[in-house]
Amino acid sequence: MAEEADLLGQDSDGDSEEVVLTPAELIDRLEQAWMNEKFAPELLENKSEIVECVMEQLEHMEENLKRAKKGDLKVSIHQMEMERIRFVLSSYLRCRLMKIEKFFPHILEKEKTRREEEPSILSPEEFVFAKEFLANTETYLKDTALKHMPPNLQKVDLMRTDLLSGSVHMLCPPETLERVSLQWSLLLPPRLPLISRPLHLSSERVLIPKPDLDAYVFLRVKERQENILVEPESDEQRDYVIDLEEGSQHLIRYRTVAPLVASGAIQLI
Amino acid sequence: MDAAEVEFLAEKELVTIIPNFSLDKIYLIGGDLGPFNPGLPVQVPLWLAVNLKQRQKCRLLPPEWMDVEKLEKMRDHERKEGTFTPMPSPYYMELTKLLLNHASDNIPQADEIRTLIKDVWDTRIAKFRVSADSFVRQQEAHAKLDNLTLMEINTSGAFLTQALNHMYKLRTNLQPSDSTQSQDF
Repeated sequence: MAEEADLLGQDSDGDSEEVVLTPAELIDRLEQAWMNEKFAPELLENKSEIVECVMEQLEHMEENLKRAKKGDLKVSIHQMEMERIRFVLSSYLRCRLMKIEKFFPHILEKEKTRREEEPSILSPEEFVFAKEFLANTETYLKDTALKHMPPNLQKVDLMRTDLLSGSVHMLCPPETLERVSLQWSLLLPPRLPLISRPLHLSSERVLIPKPDLDAYVFLRVKERQENILVEPESDEQRDYVIDLEEGSQHLIRYRTVAPLVASGAIQLI
Repeated sequence: MDAAEVEFLAEKELVTIIPNFSLDKIYLIGGDLGPFNPGLPVQVPLWLAVNLKQRQKCRLLPPEWMDVEKLEKMRDHERKEGTFTPMPSPYYMELTKLLLNHASDNIPQADEIRTLIKDVWDTRIAKFRVSADSFVRQQEAHAKLDNLTLMEINTSGAFLTQALNHMYKLRTNLQPSDSTQSQDF
């Protein structure tokens, strides 16, 4: 770990990681990213450099194996290891895709409003996927539900075309409210985010679901942290500060520790 | 996380084997292993050890802590203490299960070891349940769970966090919302 920290210290570019990691460390980083992504309620920053390096390593190893065809045992051992790495990699990517599908309006809005210097949460391929998913969902809703609704309700944009607001606007008079809400909930595929968060369907607007940052997570501390504020759950308690010792494990709400996950100081478990 | 995925992580732990074949050093992506010489012990990750054992290419050696007296002491210590005591390996349960399932012939007193580990596991899970219960009752915002292994956390971790999330939402929704005329799903 100390060796890795030295290498990171040499990196002066903000952009690309010119860090020299051993393959073992790379695989460790991939597994850490995998576990963090699994347990975090929101989509974390994309680690495309790790993904690319791992793909390179796997391709490299495959080429070597194709050439060295002798020695059945060696080949099968390498293949077993490659299968293991592939499993972690595809599980990681699948987890991210699942979150993108769940929160696509929120994610696309965030992407639209982020400043130039901030790194993107999505990789370029994921961004294309999210936009296509949005377009497909709109088409689906139009074809299955909206064209059967009274003409003054047929216009629904999951997001405005300029992507400035993140809310779905459905203007409907109060008496059609119930009918519309029933049709809406019946026709959306179950994976769409209606279920994950209570939606308020008012006579004015429907809010898009956002990741629940107040979810509780288990974590292990990798770097010592001081003075983390713990907010009280009930009114009788006050907030207090705790120190996170290295190697200790905790259960706490995600919102307080979200920046530490992004910086790598803690690991979700 | 599935229990299988926790086991997947546990399979990276190093164990000692005695191969009956010879092979020069192999350079895996995750590290170098070997060289393998028949009769000489070598350290390999658990996934490889189990695979070689299934192909009858090696003998597995139990880890140093997998010994009846040591485990008895550990079990008694765990029962006495109110908090969680440190375990010999963060993956003691998975290691025991895999080694005893695939290589019980290489491990002396396998049945006693199985029973002892199960006792330790039961004690720890009971403690986990009790402390989760008091966490919820007293509406704590934070808990420290050192020395708990990933497999133990994973047994009821997902359920516990979901329950806590729901309770948090119920508590914070006690304040009146500011939107007029809203209808919940």
